[in-house]
Amino acid sequence: MQDIESEVRNLIAEVLEKDPAEIKADMRLVEDLGMDSLKALEVLVAVEKKYKITIPEEKLPALNTLDATVAIAKEFLAKKENNLSQP
Amino acid sequence: MDNKRVVVTGLGIISPNSGIGKDSFSEAIFNGISGIKPISLFDTSAFKVHTAAEIQDFRAQEILGPQGLRVLDRSARLLCSATLLALQDAGVEIKEDNSRNIGLVAGNTLGSLKSICDFDKVAIKDGPQYVNPSLFPNTVINAQVSHACIRLNIKGFNATISTGFSASLDAINYALNFIKLGRKNIILAGGVEELCMETFLGFHKIGLLAGLKKGSVELSCPFDKRRNGIILGEGSCVLMLEDLESALERNAHIYAEIKGYGTCFEAYHPGQHNSSAAGLKEAMQSALKKAKIKPQEIDYICSGANSTVNLDAMEAKCIKEVFADSFNSLQVSSLKSMIGESFSASGALQVAAAVLAIERQMIPPTINYEEKDESCDLSYVTQARACRVNNAMVNAFGLGSGNSSLIISKFFN
Repeated sequence: MQDIESEVRNLIAEVLEKDPAEIKADMRLVEDLGMDSLKALEVLVAVEKKYKITIPEEKLPALNTLDATVAIAKEFLAKKENNLSQP
Repeated sequence: MDNKRVVVTGLGIISPNSGIGKDSFSEAIFNGISGIKPISLFDTSAFKVHTAAEIQDFRAQEILGPQGLRVLDRSARLLCSATLLALQDAGVEIKEDNSRNIGLVAGNTLGSLKSICDFDKVAIKDGPQYVNPSLFPNTVINAQVSHACIRLNIKGFNATISTGFSASLDAINYALNFIKLGRKNIILAGGVEELCMETFLGFHKIGLLAGLKKGSVELSCPFDKRRNGIILGEGSCVLMLEDLESALERNAHIYAEIKGYGTCFEAYHPGQHNSSAAGLKEAMQSALKKAKIKPQEIDYICSGANSTVNLDAMEAKCIKEVFADSFNSLQVSSLKSMIGESFSASGALQVAAAVLAIERQMIPPTINYEEKDESCDLSYVTQARACRVNNAMVNAFGLGSGNSSLIISKFFN
């Protein structure tokens, strides 16, 4: 699970053109790190593509910190794995 | 409307034969330096031809800084860079108090093609869900100019002119009209095109590239008997055009004056030119009339000839007809022998060459001219030549019926 946090941090850092070390877990992506709506969508798509999951766009406002983004990625990854394990 | 005089006060140039900046461009064109080399941007092993006029040492971060470049495609980077170079050359810094008085207009036709293809490739390969939304803005035709205006804080207006081969001359005319109408004092005007596999493939497939036919030379040699097609190029050139009063008020360096523009769209055929050459002839005559300059007063023609059999002959025929009494004393050369055909960027690069010819009183050469062709029997400048250049004509035209002509003169106050 530590890997997911590290991977999502790298994705966010790439979109924001920042060093991953600058992205602290509880920093607000918009207010503290300068995220805009297009970049937020880019992060959403990048996370979806990385883990081959689908996150509904209604969830976009909830992707407001690294912690929150990781939690949502894990939630939909768990749903995907659960669906795959269903007979 | 015609009372206002419009002068050139800045040049921003990125060219395949000179890299970055007007000084290196000036050195290159007067020394006959070619920018045509084997292509490094993409693999050409599946093609019959392998060279292009590619800008091989372009690193946008050295001009623009590293931030925000991630989502700019090559043509946006080229235009942003050329625009900034023009502002710096003119000594104009954009601040809040002047940002609404400055506009940008550029010719661009093919510049988004690679971005469109890249965007669609992801949708096809990975699924439409996975396309990067930040890359979508690059897929529209006005992306380059919009990116440049946002990055450089240009708020006066932004416009893209997409008229193919003549687009950057048409963009300059758009700027001329704005200034002459008194709507803006300073307008940046030019053109941009990037080289990419998708554009190269298109020109290759329709048979327009030099070296495709068996036994033909892969060479850009305008007006020469061996010519058989274009060498594709890329580049960006932005000129700062300014109302004379504004230029004098801020004690700007004035390179030259834009005197007249003429255009004619023949609506003839999407892939052929009209052999009567009536459209280009009309554009040239209209530009002379607008400039109030007699044909015998033109010293130099910066030709649009791009090494294609019919178009070069068409321009030679037009020059003979329009300059019936004076064509023997005219200096004619084609820049495209050195920088290839960069479509919507070519016209602006030719204008920059004509401006520098006026500044240095010297004509840049047509390189690779060796074998005379009777259908192009004019006298061409093949080595840089020092001579009087008070008035220069720039021509831009191509398949698809568009023809434009611009007259630039030495500035006399």
